[in-house]
Amino acid sequence: MKGSVHEALSAARHVQPGCSEKDAVWQSGKLTLYRYRAIVRPASTAPLLIVYALVNRPYMMDLQQDRSLIRGLLEAGLDVYLVDWGYPDGADRFTTLADYIDQQLGECVEHILATRGIAALNILGVCQGGVMSLCFAALYPQRVRNLITMVTPVDFHTHSDILSKWVRGIDISAFIGSGNVPGDVLSQLFLSLMPFRLTQQKYVDLLSGSADPAHIENFMRVESWIFDSPDQAGAALREFVLWFYQQNRLVQGGLTIAGRAVDLRTLRLPILNLIGKRDHLVPPEASRALRRLVGSADYTDVEFDLGHIGMYISARAQRQVPKQIAEWLIARD
Amino acid sequence: MKPDAWQELRDGLVSMATRGWASANGPAPDAPPGFAPFAAAAEGFEAAARAYRSAANAAAGQGDAARLFAHALRGLFADFPVPWKTTLDSALHGVAPGNLFDQPALGASREHQQRGQQLAEAARRVADAQGRLQILWSDAMREAAATFTTRLDSTRGTPAHPAPVGELYNTWIDCAEDAYARMIHGENFCTTLAELVNAASQWRQALQAAMEQSAKLLDLPTRSEIDSLAQRLKAVEHELRAARRAPDDSGQGNATRGKGPTRKRKTASKAAKAAGRSRHGTIRR
Repeated sequence: MKGSVHEALSAARHVQPGCSEKDAVWQSGKLTLYRYRAIVRPASTAPLLIVYALVNRPYMMDLQQDRSLIRGLLEAGLDVYLVDWGYPDGADRFTTLADYIDQQLGECVEHILATRGIAALNILGVCQGGVMSLCFAALYPQRVRNLITMVTPVDFHTHSDILSKWVRGIDISAFIGSGNVPGDVLSQLFLSLMPFRLTQQKYVDLLSGSADPAHIENFMRVESWIFDSPDQAGAALREFVLWFYQQNRLVQGGLTIAGRAVDLRTLRLPILNLIGKRDHLVPPEASRALRRLVGSADYTDVEFDLGHIGMYISARAQRQVPKQIAEWLIARD
Repeated sequence: MKPDAWQELRDGLVSMATRGWASANGPAPDAPPGFAPFAAAAEGFEAAARAYRSAANAAAGQGDAARLFAHALRGLFADFPVPWKTTLDSALHGVAPGNLFDQPALGASREHQQRGQQLAEAARRVADAQGRLQILWSDAMREAAATFTTRLDSTRGTPAHPAPVGELYNTWIDCAEDAYARMIHGENFCTTLAELVNAASQWRQALQAAMEQSAKLLDLPTRSEIDSLAQRLKAVEHELRAARRAPDDSGQGNATRGKGPTRKRKTASKAAKAAGRSRHGTIRR
């Protein structure tokens, strides 16, 4: 057993994530907008723009053939775009949330609308990207036809939100200073939520488990994604922690982006909220809060018995999540 | 996992950690980094489990054996590499408050003395917070060990059929993780962690100020100067972007580039043309 696990690990050390063909259709600075190539006859829906988080890389949405939410969406005939924020460096230290949401995301949307000759598109916001998508939809409601949020925190002051508890007393401006926050710091933060499982048991299980090359390659892809943590633009992270984690402005009010108020009550569009019941990063109740905050009459939340990462890559997620998204969108387009 | 499988795993880990990937498994250019901690943990746990089994199989003292097992685990995890320790220890190496810094700052070098005092005070606060976190950690491990001892009653098996070591290991991880979760959700931990981060931030600020002072003396560019330039550049970029978005008085070019939701929609026929001249980005397709 030992030798074959070692051999499989050695053979898998250069595995690359990603399986679906895509084209870079627009670039600005470090941002790249991708459009995935269709693999079946297109459904008659507006394009779906996936807005991923600033922390970690978006290829988790298309990790490998049998672990790809994007592939599931393509198989359902959806026209999928993806925002890749890139890797911020020192020159991005003053990039704010307004720059990301109002400017960069806004320009991506404008590009898609202009090239497709349509007035509005569908958005799927993931985790922190869901928060950004909510803000964008509130700022530009006529640009967004349907909104899907996935493992998205809305109420940042729920009882089981450990990240929120940890940062509540931190002077975030002093912590960040004028620089970026290294991705390694965030990796450490996430590991310290479950240190015994994530820094030890996981590897013991790997080395005492199956030597199946596919299993090992899957592990290595996830492993490389977990630690592929971009540095965070200092100004944007400071605003995100202060406004959302500390001041809980989506619930308490008072949020402004680029000088304009963001009020979730103004959202009237159809909303699908996808929640992981075993999410240790975004507690389910933090996502459930969206229902009571938006003004939409067409609101649906669906809970899956999955964790945060399992929502993207578990076998159960592959069967359930893309199907749920596609059926919900097709019913409304 | 069978006991012999655990032994095989442990041997493999130890082999990799001590002799390297290539010598343990034939030629392979890159050994996976960081295996030594897993090897040490596996070896330590296996030794503790073996001692527990021997004692538990003896005629008397199963309760004592469990307590000894739990005590050994507490010892094994006492120096677990928690992030608040490993990250800051190296950064603060060599910085310690001394008596000099307890004195009032006087004279022409007063400001320099104060900077040094701030640095030392921050280092003292960091060390203090680290110490308090370590106590909380120790308490959590004691709680985990106590729970583990209790659970051993139902998982230890019989002398003829002892519980697999892997099963005991997973039980221990569950106990440790549960105790850790209770600790990190507590107000005491959150307050102390915040104090640690805030003190470390103050220490870094004080260090930056001292370094900037030295850089000025040598006429080297400082972080503050570069930040100031970056802010100015960002302001210029914003103005340029706003100018591009503004309606074009000449009636040509940018009429459809109004800001946000008030912008007029292009027709489909114009869209293709627009795709060739993105507002700010590059369009490839």
